[in-house]
Formats: sequence, C-alpha cells, structure tokens
Amino acid sequence: MNKDYDLVIVGSGAGGGTLASRLIPLAQAGAKIAILESGPHYTRDYFTQRELEMMELLWRGGAWPTKDGAITMAAGRGVGGSTMLYTGVTFRLPDDVCGEWGVPGLTAEDLRPRFERIEEEIHVIEPGPEMVNDNNRLFKEGCEKLGYQVETIRLNVKGCQQNGFCNIGCISGGKQGTLEVQIPASVQAGIDLIPNCHVARVGERSLEVTVGKTPPGTHDGPWTPGDYAVRAKRIVLSAGAPGTPALLLRSGYGERLPALGKYFTLHPALTVYGVYPEDIKNYRGYPKTYYSPQFSEQDHYYLETAFYYPFVSTKHLGLWGRELKELMKCYNRFMTQIILNHDEALESNYIGLDAKGNPEINYTISAESVESLCRAQAQSARIFFAAGCDTVIMPCADRPVFKRGEVADADLERFISSKNYLANKTPVAAAHPQGGCRMGTDPATSVTDGRGKVHGTDWLYVSDASLFPKSSHVNPYLTIMALADRVAEELVGTSSSWA
Amino acid sequence: MTDATYKLKNLTGRKLQVFLAAADCIIPPDPGSPGGGTMETAAVVDWALNRLDPEMRALFLKFMVALDFIGVFFGGRTFKNNSMAARERQLRWTESCPLRPFRMGFFGLKSYVCMGYYTREATWPEFGYGGPHVPERAYPDTVIRGLEQGALEVAE
Repeated sequence: MNKDYDLVIVGSGAGGGTLASRLIPLAQAGAKIAILESGPHYTRDYFTQRELEMMELLWRGGAWPTKDGAITMAAGRGVGGSTMLYTGVTFRLPDDVCGEWGVPGLTAEDLRPRFERIEEEIHVIEPGPEMVNDNNRLFKEGCEKLGYQVETIRLNVKGCQQNGFCNIGCISGGKQGTLEVQIPASVQAGIDLIPNCHVARVGERSLEVTVGKTPPGTHDGPWTPGDYAVRAKRIVLSAGAPGTPALLLRSGYGERLPALGKYFTLHPALTVYGVYPEDIKNYRGYPKTYYSPQFSEQDHYYLETAFYYPFVSTKHLGLWGRELKELMKCYNRFMTQIILNHDEALESNYIGLDAKGNPEINYTISAESVESLCRAQAQSARIFFAAGCDTVIMPCADRPVFKRGEVADADLERFISSKNYLANKTPVAAAHPQGGCRMGTDPATSVTDGRGKVHGTDWLYVSDASLFPKSSHVNPYLTIMALADRVAEELVGTSSSWA
Repeated sequence: MTDATYKLKNLTGRKLQVFLAAADCIIPPDPGSPGGGTMETAAVVDWALNRLDPEMRALFLKFMVALDFIGVFFGGRTFKNNSMAARERQLRWTESCPLRPFRMGFFGLKSYVCMGYYTREATWPEFGYGGPHVPERAYPDTVIRGLEQGALEVAE
C-alpha cells in the first residue's frame, strides 16, 4: 500500500511531538503531515501504577542493556516517547555546555527565546512547598547543613495531583509531556498519528514501514495493519538517540557519514539509598523537586532526588540474601538520590546494529565516569547522614551497607572507591541517551548541520537527542524540544518549496 | 487444572528446581515471610520470560542449567542438591566471577527473582508498601494481574 505526504515525522517524543506542534500552521493551510510512532498509543486511563505491568511502556521491557550488559537503559516506547515516563524535570541547556558543543548558529542567545516559549506552552513551574515530599525536604536540609548548593527543580506540570508514579505513566494528565500537550494539538489540527508503526528503512524521500496490530486497551490509528511505502517530500527522524542512528545505519547512510552512530553518551547513573529513622513514603507526593549542582564543574555529576518502585529499587541496591530482605523491610524509610554523570562523548561509544538490524548500544563506561560516580557516592552518603539517615547503601563501598559513625567522614572517599566497581555487578543505569547524529559542519565528523538537516540531502532531517554533539549535562527533554523548534523553523521557512 | 491455573512454560523440571533453590538464597525465608523460592515467584518470572526475546530467554535458561552443574565444585553435588551454604558460596562467586557471562547471568537471575517476589501483592505488607492509587484499574493482560494478586494457582 502507498501513502503520500508532504512531511512525515518518525517518532512522537520530545523531538517529534514538538516538531509536529510547530507545523500546525502548515497542516491548517493544507499540508499533509503524519507522525509515525513505533509504540502503541497509550492514554492516561491505561496506566495502572504497577511496575511490572508498566514495563511495557519502555523499550525492551525496561531492560535495554548496553552490548556489554554493564548498563541498563530506559527509554519510552509509545506515543509521547520518553516524555510519557519522565518526571518533568526541566533544565535549560547550560550556556557553557552550548558553547562546548560548538555548533555554528546554535548559541545561548538563539536558544533562550525558544526555551521561554516552550516553557510557557508546556507549563513549566517552580514547585511550591506543597509539592515537596519528605524525601525532597530531607535532601534539601542535608545539603544545606553541609553548605552544598541546592536548587529547586522546575517541572512541567499542570494540575498535578502528586500521585508519585510519574515514571510509569501519569494517571491524571498533570505531567505535560507531548502525550498530553503537543500530540493532541497536532492531531486536532489534522496531522495524522499512526501508532504501532515500525519504520524499517529510509529510501529516497520514502519510508518502508509496517503497521502492527493495536494492543488491547490502546488506541487505534487510521491505518490498518500491513506493509506500506510512504512517500514524503520531507522526512524528519525523531526516533530517539538509539533509534534514529540505527534507522539511518539500516538505510545505508553509514558509508558516506562516518560519524553516524558515534559519540554516543547516556549520563551513567547510580541510584543510592539512605535509611531514615521514620517513614517518609517517597511514593506519595511529587518525586523530584531538588537537585545539587555543587559538584558538576569539578567532578562532573549532578545529584538529584529520586523515587523508584520496590522491584526497581532492589536492582539499584545491588544486594541479595538476608541483607536485601532486611533492608527492603525499611522501604518506607528509604531516602533516594540519583547521581547523573556528565560522560564524555567518545568516538568509541556508538550505536550499531545487531544481526537482526536492531539498535545495539556499544558503550563502555570510562574510568573517569567510574571515578566520578564513586566520588559522588561519598557526597551522597554525607547528604544522607546530614539529613538524619542512620544507614546508607553505596554500591562501590568496601561494605555496601554501613551505618553512621562506622566510617569516618574523612575516610569516605577511600572507603567508596573505584576498586569496588565491577561491570555487570555494580548497578549502573541510564535514561538519557544522546548523540549518534551529532550536529556540525563537516560530514566527516558530524551527521547533520546545525538545523538537523542530514549532510548531503535537502529533504531528510533529524530532530531528537541524537543531534547532541556531546552530553547535555542536564536532563535533556527541554533541549530536545528547543532543537526541534529550530528544525521546524527551517522547515516552515522553506515550506514554499515543498508543502 | 482449571481456568484459574497458570502452567509454567519455561521454568520446568531441572530449571524450575534450580530457580527455586537460587531464589531462596537471593530472598531467604524468615519467620515472618516466605523466601523467593516459591511457585508464585516462579510463575511471575515464567510470564516475564515468555515476553523476552527468544535468544535471551534461551541464554537465561542455559545459564540455569550451567549453574546446576557447576554446583559440583562448590558442594560436591549439583546446585539444587547442595546445602544452602554451598549454594550461597557459589552465587557469591558467580556474582563477582572474572568471566563476564557468569556475572551477567547472575545479574539477570537476581533481577528476575526480585521481580517475581516484590511485584506480588502478597509480599507488600512485609515491607509496608501501599501500592498504586488505582489498585482496581483493569489491565488487558489478566494473567499477570492474576499472578500479581495471587488469584491463580501455579502448576508445572
């Protein structure tokens, strides 16, 4: 079957969803536009807040390992992409990081008005005290006692009911991801949304796609299941950092774009726990309202508050046996932090293809990142103790579970060290895949220009986190949306030639 | 067997016995609660294995068999027939083994056992988990909901 469009977007997350919403005026003027989404169309009434059931919202059931199995990555699969699963943590790309990226035309001045506009559209707020749960309050108190810088995390929520289960779908619709904001607006304006649509290959102004059956409980799209040849005058790939480079590799772009798939980063993360003397029930209230940038510049990590469900928590704890069982009995007393390392963009870390043509994450955590994660654990332990915890759990400590006073404060860095890191044992995870289609000017070292146009084409664009030349340092969704805004600006500006 | 029975498809025979023995090491029983080595835990894991990529599933099941044979070096018998102390010794070795595939296998096994145990409602009172705000909200896959809620019998 054949389908003809003016423009097709592959993916509906922060990049694809935002891009679609920017093209609404063209759709209203008669341009034919479609969004092809690989995952199903879930809506808020589908989310059950049960972690095992909701693992289906993630690629590979929530356990997408790097090729060496050392890091497990989480990425959303469904309409809304990872904005279906994020916590609404809103950071602008830091000005100095934008400078480091060194993409001509992409400046802090260029991004600022885009950030402002997007933040207004998706209801970014500074959470008030009524949104601060015990875990967050204690984190702030701990940081302040130590004299560490602690800042409020801005969130994109509207009418949030503080259900606490943001990472497995928002049941109230308060979280203003593309599933709730940009996609409904785009569909209402006449843009076609095709869920369950796998794109196998990009051809010359065309796509080979297969639409699968609609899973029970999810929403149908307008196309019946089957194979399609989709022709479009412009194609924008927004399938995410592993998905977009993999699709281009499958389509044969690797030979003429040697940087394709390379310089992949993912913010290696460790989630660490402290045990507070009283119940703090982190799964009630809003999970994330504070972070500390204290160690970003010197040691290359952020500390953020976090919350995870019981099973996922057992993975982070890295324990088993009686130690695990006894600790889990303190689940309601868990204080939680997540350590996010700003990893370096290395050519040797890349997205490839497995034997079936699926994306394969070839990523080896660097010694520098491991050192950074270890120094961060020592600082996290200090914050937990300062906040009043009597026990902390640090995966890279000589003895992962230790109590207040058992290790002298000055010895924490020696006690928690990289000699205890062991790949496939230390529970490193990630949720911020970036790079693989980096922007730049030279086709030898980059894949697209500064507006996301793939080198050597005038009809193929990228609009997602794979554009990042290096790590964003911060949670990436707002930066992805701002880059989508730039791509859309170019497409709208040239629309007289294609729409 | 009635409609309210879940029949194991992947964890059967030797693999089931190895799984149950390992699960009781990973989450040991105590006076207040059972360990991980129950048919209820195994059933949730079996359900998850059904959804796993077939190659990964085959690898995991091969790891279970390998774990059993290697038990000879730790307690003189196969894993499932060794003492609890010998099994723990073997699992500690596997967890930090210089050979990456063993570490990966243990990481997977530990994750599955914890999944099978801590996602079942019957275990939630043990650690005071209040669970979802919408506990009655239906889910299309009634099998996993039945296993989570202990509403299905489990048979090999």
